[in-house]
Amino acid sequence: MSCVIPFRRGIWLLLCLASLAREGAVARAEVRVEICESGLDDKDAWPEMAPVATEFFSVPAFAIDQIPPKYVDDGIRGTRPSPSLVRLTGTVDFPSGKHRILIRARSAARLTLNGTLLVETPFAPKNGGDGSQADTERLVPLDLGRGYRFAPNGEYERIAEFETTGGPVDVKFEVFAGGREGKTPRRVEVGETVVAIAKSENDVWELLTPGPHGVRYTDADWAHYRDGLEKSLAERNAATRARLRENSADYWTPRRKEAESWLAATPEVTVPVPPAGFPIQTPIDNFIADRYATVKNQNRQRSPDKIDFFRDVSPLLESRCVDCHRGANAKGGFRLDRAEAARRGGESGPAFQAGVAESELMRRVTSHDPGEKMPPKGERLTSAEILVLDRWISEGASWPDLPLLRDSFTGPVDDAGFLRRLMLDTVGVPPTMGELGEFLADTRPDKRATWIDRLLDDPRWADHWMPLWQDMLAENPNILNPTLNNTGPFRWWLYESLRDDLPLDRMVTQLVLQRGGDREGGPAGFGEASQNDVPYAAKGAILSAAFLGVDLKCARCHDSPTGAFQQEQLFQIGALLAAKPLDVPATSSVDPAKLQTLGRTPLIRVTLAPGSHVEPKWPFPLFANPEVLTPLVRNPEDHRERLAALLTAPHNERFAQVLANHIWRHFMGRGIVEPVEDWEQGIPTHPELLRWLGRELVRGGYRVKSLSRLILNSAAYQRAVDPLLRTSDPLYAAPEPRRLSAEQIVDSLFAVSGKPFRTEALCLDLNGRRVTSNSIDLGTPRRAWMLASLSNERDRPSLSLPRLQAVADVLTALGWRGARQDPSFSRDASPNALQPAILANGVMMQWITRLSDDHGLTEFALREQPVETLVDNLFLRLLSRVPTPPERTRYTQWLSDGFATRRVANPVYETPAHVAPKFITWTNHLQPESDPAAQERIAAAQRGDSPTPRIEPNWRAHCEDAIWAILNSPEMLFRP
Amino acid sequence: MTSPLARRDLLKFSLAAAANALARPAWGEPSNTPPLGKAEHCILFWLGGGMAQVDTFDPKRLGDAHSKPSRSGSYYNSIETAVPGVRVTEHLAQTAKVMDRVTVVRTVNHRVVDEHAFATNLVHTGRTISGSTVYPSIGSIVAQQRGPVDPAVPAYMLIGIPNVSRGPGFLGAKHGFVYLTDTNSGPAGFSRPIDVDSQRVANRLALLEPTQQRFPSDSLPADYRSAQAEALRLSGPEFMRHFDLTQESGSIRQRYGGEFGQRCLLSRRLVQAGVRFIEVSHNLNFINGTGWDSHRSGQQQLHGLIQELDTALSALIEDLERQKLLDKTLIVVATEFGRPAAFDDGGGRGHQGSTFSLVLAGGGLRHQGAYGVTDDDCKEILENPVSIPDFHATIHAALGIDPRHELRDGARPVSITDGGIPIAKLLS
Repeated sequence: MSCVIPFRRGIWLLLCLASLAREGAVARAEVRVEICESGLDDKDAWPEMAPVATEFFSVPAFAIDQIPPKYVDDGIRGTRPSPSLVRLTGTVDFPSGKHRILIRARSAARLTLNGTLLVETPFAPKNGGDGSQADTERLVPLDLGRGYRFAPNGEYERIAEFETTGGPVDVKFEVFAGGREGKTPRRVEVGETVVAIAKSENDVWELLTPGPHGVRYTDADWAHYRDGLEKSLAERNAATRARLRENSADYWTPRRKEAESWLAATPEVTVPVPPAGFPIQTPIDNFIADRYATVKNQNRQRSPDKIDFFRDVSPLLESRCVDCHRGANAKGGFRLDRAEAARRGGESGPAFQAGVAESELMRRVTSHDPGEKMPPKGERLTSAEILVLDRWISEGASWPDLPLLRDSFTGPVDDAGFLRRLMLDTVGVPPTMGELGEFLADTRPDKRATWIDRLLDDPRWADHWMPLWQDMLAENPNILNPTLNNTGPFRWWLYESLRDDLPLDRMVTQLVLQRGGDREGGPAGFGEASQNDVPYAAKGAILSAAFLGVDLKCARCHDSPTGAFQQEQLFQIGALLAAKPLDVPATSSVDPAKLQTLGRTPLIRVTLAPGSHVEPKWPFPLFANPEVLTPLVRNPEDHRERLAALLTAPHNERFAQVLANHIWRHFMGRGIVEPVEDWEQGIPTHPELLRWLGRELVRGGYRVKSLSRLILNSAAYQRAVDPLLRTSDPLYAAPEPRRLSAEQIVDSLFAVSGKPFRTEALCLDLNGRRVTSNSIDLGTPRRAWMLASLSNERDRPSLSLPRLQAVADVLTALGWRGARQDPSFSRDASPNALQPAILANGVMMQWITRLSDDHGLTEFALREQPVETLVDNLFLRLLSRVPTPPERTRYTQWLSDGFATRRVANPVYETPAHVAPKFITWTNHLQPESDPAAQERIAAAQRGDSPTPRIEPNWRAHCEDAIWAILNSPEMLFRP
Repeated sequence: MTSPLARRDLLKFSLAAAANALARPAWGEPSNTPPLGKAEHCILFWLGGGMAQVDTFDPKRLGDAHSKPSRSGSYYNSIETAVPGVRVTEHLAQTAKVMDRVTVVRTVNHRVVDEHAFATNLVHTGRTISGSTVYPSIGSIVAQQRGPVDPAVPAYMLIGIPNVSRGPGFLGAKHGFVYLTDTNSGPAGFSRPIDVDSQRVANRLALLEPTQQRFPSDSLPADYRSAQAEALRLSGPEFMRHFDLTQESGSIRQRYGGEFGQRCLLSRRLVQAGVRFIEVSHNLNFINGTGWDSHRSGQQQLHGLIQELDTALSALIEDLERQKLLDKTLIVVATEFGRPAAFDDGGGRGHQGSTFSLVLAGGGLRHQGAYGVTDDDCKEILENPVSIPDFHATIHAALGIDPRHELRDGARPVSITDGGIPIAKLLS
């Protein structure tokens, strides 16, 4: 009998060392995996000639469940030809005897030993169709005895016997990845592709490996094995991207030089000398202090018995007047959204004069004349409102630049609060106890700066930034047929760009060029908009809002009623993105008949008639002059190239400033300009700081991390929260208690509890039978951002994904949108009853508050320690702080009862039933057995995992109650 | 400690007063308001997949799915109803008897691609997608316009699987639904785990209390604390008792029939509890395999689904009438599109959005049995076409909502329906 040791991560280490030693050659102890893209046709037949490999990598055993994405161009995901062929080869030392060999593959595969075909699987049938086929596929997979890993996704399984006298055998395992339905390709994936062996007289299945260590083919060992596979492929992928990016260095190196010369040729922003007594850590603090002092001075005459502009007047103007009296097209030429313009007045002359009771403004708001009264429609102002305006004017119409929410700055946040905040803001989860302990023990004076650098280097950085980009660019993939304004899954391109800290000018250039595989995660997926009448008008609006702060949403059907922008400009940028002229359909216009109103000029105008033909043209000469382009465009004939260059050139200061504003808001809670996507409406609170930040972004090579470092090191970022602030202070005297995003909350709950984030795969075509255009596989999420809409508008229980649904329910209640049909630049953070309800009672929280064997707090609670220490540690681990005295008393008391006897000496485990999970996916979801099977799966998700038998049940319940209470405290939802 | 923000404003799912202040007449002053009904509640049945109108509410000559070639027409015989001249399929025998409380709108039509998601979205929102905003579902609009009847309960509930089309769109999460997938599970989030009894809830709250008290009142975390109190109330017996169908008599439960019927019975209880809008999914697909999406073999057992619908719909009409709630409760039977009279190669039916039937019942409307006329192939509309916006406008009008009023998507006014005109004959 051979020696089978349980699989350990060590095997991957071993392999890496072997690879280093003999790069390029097939080490004897490893399996070489080759990908062949040519020499195959769509006939579902094995090629006569062995196809040539174009890529290869190494794995420890004849087992893969993925192949790397194909990278093209400058490091973006592309499309592999479908089908491709994957070939695994290696030399295995067989003991003598008669062995059973199992092969498992999604479609056609064949195993050849010493040149002789041993066993093969057939080509998958061409029937992705309507979901009711009862083909050869089993709802229940093959069962080869206890411990045997069931085929998870309907893979074909075949068993053969192999008898040998022992010694090395050349093993070749070839599998088809993808395939075609007619001419239409399926996804180029392999599924769980395995050769396993049960050696003579043995019922233990192992992965076939040339290496010295056997790997059992059980669920647990497979999970370790594939983790290793995923990690090693992730490294390989990063290296591939870096190598491909080198190919366009000849373009980007001069671009960097161009940015440097632009910086040198344009005047620097003067960093103000701050008034004395303000904390200064980076130049940002100079701007903040200077502005604060100015506004404080403007507000010096404030008193509680006087009308206060921001408290009394501004809300009134906002709700009753500003809708029409704002922006470049303000009605009557009169703006009430800017102090200076308001004082100047409009077509009817000055509206009011400070200190003078009689005014045009008061006359109009008190008038009953239908042609003169204000507001012209709806309820009249109340007498109280009129009195407010009247008194405000009489008292001098004071209109400071900004409200003064605090009379001083708060001091720096304490260390524990700082680390929790920093980690939530950079990597999206709170510190572990180890990290917290290390940070608190660190006595270096520059420890905050050191830890900022450390977290900027943390790969989880990309996870935390994903939601912002997904929202802003309306990333909206659907795992089933693309329908409601769905895009491709360009999340993978976003993620890899963020992970690699790709400079933003380069990233936006890739986005605009829309190359790569639209269904495989390349930026081409951004250009998709299923069932949309003018996809590129929608994309043009996204691009101009996200990167220029120009809101062209209205221009989809008519000119902006308030802004300076017209419908034509949207269609021009859309045409550039489309790289062809756009026609305006009637569905993207407003029927003039509907614009007829009584007496007054309509608020909106349609300047582009349906049927108009709009040529590609840069619509914003204001931001960048097309003449600066010449050195920056590789191919001037290419509309997308031109658009990319005009958007991202250093001369386009707006671009850098808009991006700097996004980054600033991400950390500081509000943009220097708000709304961030519509700069026509907003007044910069700190115009000089904004310019400075824009230039610093350029100076830092357009890298988000470089600008983030400046912000995170500022005193402004590091101030303590003022718990009474209800909005973000535009002067940054203190942060407010800020609600965390849905993703931060969900990720934090899993992270601090240590409960594995375990869901189904986000895919309804697990066996890859549907065509790429109709089904994608978004993988098994490990962070909240990786979820997507689960909705398929079909109401079929057999298409439900209950564990994902449980997580999505929490995310949705907290403001996440699974379907992003339109871009979003801010989330609703207001509380409602569903949020605490789903956190108190929901299915996901049941998993997180039940001490199961795989729960991170189970071992933690069993550790030898006094009960007081356990309480302290629970608070430290979950909330990054020690309990307050009342908390300590109550929790200690609660957990003392039964504490000494909590450990169960000989825990009894019920032998888990060896029952194959029922396999449900698109191809069989309409079979009558599928709905009941799905109902069982839903019930299992709702039940969650069994509690651990290692802890005495009564005390376990007490401990779970304590965990529940801490995780339900409002503190879990707020940034410290 | 209470927050100075009125707790109701903060926490309620939907607030009628505030919402109505925002609703303004579309495109200037309305010249004349359409007649508005007095219904207080709406129960919308969703028949996902596309109900075949020729096999249900708009029967035609009998076809033959199995002859070669197949002959188009209804799959089942039709029968007389309580309204002379209005016929329905034989499998709607119970509904036929109360047809005078029902109007089948037989001439609903949309010209979109006959694709499930797109059509489902259109029938729920009344609009096609643009990518510049997300339109709210009719449930969310009604919830936002009128709020819950009783402020202690949600305005909008769903018995079914959450999806995008049923969502609140630009109206925001507070106008979304609270959902339960079936009558065995309570509403997601509000039903307590089985192993958490009231004693354990009390224990947990005692532990939660000191952590909540770290924040001053009038702070943002204190607002959340108030939301927690509201959630606690909704997870308690006062709200949860509505979901306990064992409180109904055995005979009434039997009258409503299978799981779909039980969902309808639960809907009636929710109406009584003060919920404004309830969407009930008829997704008992195991009955025929395909559910209402009766391609090919799905046709063979379709009558199983129809009978279940018949039992539940007629029971609900009778029960509401007995409780004096029928005039106050509009029942809508909706689906994303219909199906052609011709059969596909497997003896089932494809999709047809250009002519199909949706059904209205109760709600104080002047019912006709049927409205609108289609040709013998149920392909062309002969009289009184009704667009999706018109159908929505009729629902809104029945519920006392002027369909021309405007909602606000940020600064943008969006009228409740896209130019829909209520069916005057049902409202006058």
